[in-house]
Amino acid sequence: MRPNAMTPATVPTRRAFSERMAEYGAIDSDFVVFEADIGYSTFSHLFGDRYPERYFNMGIAEGNMVSAAAGMAADGRTAVASSYGVFITMRALESVRTFVCYPDLNVKFLSSHGGFTPSIDGVTHQATEDIANMTTLPNMKVLVPADTWAAKKLFDVAMQTPGPVFVRLMRDPILDLYEPGDSFRLGGSHVVIEGSDVTIATYGDILFPSIEAAQLLAAEGIRAEVLDLYSVKPFDREGLLKSLDKTGALVVAENHQKRNGLGYELSNFCLKNRVVPFDNLGLEDTFAESGSYGKLLEKYGLSKTCIAEAAKRLLRRA
Amino acid sequence: MTATQRANRALTLGERAAFLAEKSKEVRSRVLSMIYTAKSGHPGGALSAADIVTALYFDILRVDPANPRWPDRDRFLLSKGHACPVLYTCLAMRGYFALEHLDTLRQFESILQGHPIRKTPGIDMTTGSLGHGLSIGLGMALDGKLRGKDYTVYVMLGDGEINEGHVWEAAMAATKYKTDNLIAFVDRNRLQMDGCCDDIMPMGDIAAKFKAFGWKTFEIDGHDMERILRTIEKARRVRGKPACIVANTVKGKGVSYMEDRFEWHGKCPDTDQLACAMREIWGEDS
Repeated sequence: MRPNAMTPATVPTRRAFSERMAEYGAIDSDFVVFEADIGYSTFSHLFGDRYPERYFNMGIAEGNMVSAAAGMAADGRTAVASSYGVFITMRALESVRTFVCYPDLNVKFLSSHGGFTPSIDGVTHQATEDIANMTTLPNMKVLVPADTWAAKKLFDVAMQTPGPVFVRLMRDPILDLYEPGDSFRLGGSHVVIEGSDVTIATYGDILFPSIEAAQLLAAEGIRAEVLDLYSVKPFDREGLLKSLDKTGALVVAENHQKRNGLGYELSNFCLKNRVVPFDNLGLEDTFAESGSYGKLLEKYGLSKTCIAEAAKRLLRRA
Repeated sequence: MTATQRANRALTLGERAAFLAEKSKEVRSRVLSMIYTAKSGHPGGALSAADIVTALYFDILRVDPANPRWPDRDRFLLSKGHACPVLYTCLAMRGYFALEHLDTLRQFESILQGHPIRKTPGIDMTTGSLGHGLSIGLGMALDGKLRGKDYTVYVMLGDGEINEGHVWEAAMAATKYKTDNLIAFVDRNRLQMDGCCDDIMPMGDIAAKFKAFGWKTFEIDGHDMERILRTIEKARRVRGKPACIVANTVKGKGVSYMEDRFEWHGKCPDTDQLACAMREIWGEDS
């Protein structure tokens, strides 16, 4: 990985994931993909173009799509159900819970437009409660790639992991950090920047303002460690503890409601295992709004400056 | 095809129906006994569906109780999962598991949960949260088509259940994908939990609704065994579209004090009521 030489991403994670999915069609001839009339947005059509007989557009009816994918997976197939996060994790939530997670079937979720990454689309299309809804479900695993390479590798991890896996993807390309050779696993994490004063734990799009925050802090002599918890559930307990051993302070930053997001999970974990000065950044019991992604990061406390300020507040408290 | 089924095929329709009618008495009596023992369960909708489920398990379905996950088996989904005592009874009588399990319905650590789950031998999929069974059956039908298998997927819906919009999402998708290996029953007993279907949410002409969605439809007396057998055979011959059999039934069928009474949707009989029901089912003098 190259945190100091990141390049602009040419494709969003939704596309990178779908590109890998299209390749996977040749690896597993039983593999099927369901979608709900947004295949050209999630890029699931890349699979459908190659394997039309294994690609099912169920129309604008996400609940039926997920229950049908469960029926399809009931006798051993692996199925991907693809849509936007708001629809998979809310409209189809019962199908996901009762008919995929409870019977522990091999249905994987391509969930685009995570957090407020569909910034200009407004709240109806911003999945800012998806992590809460999905991590709560028994048997569900949750992965969030930050860039192109991570999206492709986490597709592979999802396929290799038995049972349901939810993969949160984003609308727009940001930056590319990871390189071929960087490996990903269920329950893994990456220390993207090493530090000894404070740990910034994050996932997905907020990895980038976190890296920039660490660079701002470095200019002030504060060495922040940036931890990419791309495996949100299960998260890397050993990796987190190892980082906290070095830093003794934790800021969690995520494009999600604070409530029941990764920050809540980690604060619970720290209370039981390692009490450290702690803060978490995210939506404070509020919906976001339409606007440019950068404006939303600023307003809702997730810009590089906001993250750096949170780290400094924490160190003053420590 | 099992030996029993081969033997059945040699019988006339009338003989098959008579055999099933006799079987259905044992099914009904075991359904009520297990609900009585559990002190909980849903007798009304189990009894209205009993004749069709009996016909499926003792004549129609190509299944092998010794090999519950046989890939070529026909699938059956009891989408109105609260009626599961009738499904559990048929599975036990067919030998998927010992009859003794029927006394453990809804109890702690029982293989027979309050609503059907996939872990129970013979259960193809978790059901019971209403409105999902047709979608799941559609997925299984698509799976069969894709694999080139000739199995049929049967789904039993309730007439209250089809209030769920989810059912109609599945209905339109099944037509799109021409799943002629999918057959839905609507157990038209005209009662749902709070009262009469027509008062709670009138569904009007259900067959016409499915027909408008592109399905081949049939409407039958759901307690007439000959008619049930004949219609399923016709439905299986339909090509290019799914089939729906609207079965007009009586909630609580076979037990006079339960018949057509919505109170018996989810109520357990007491000792005297059970004895009375048994006499009526077996046609003995009281």
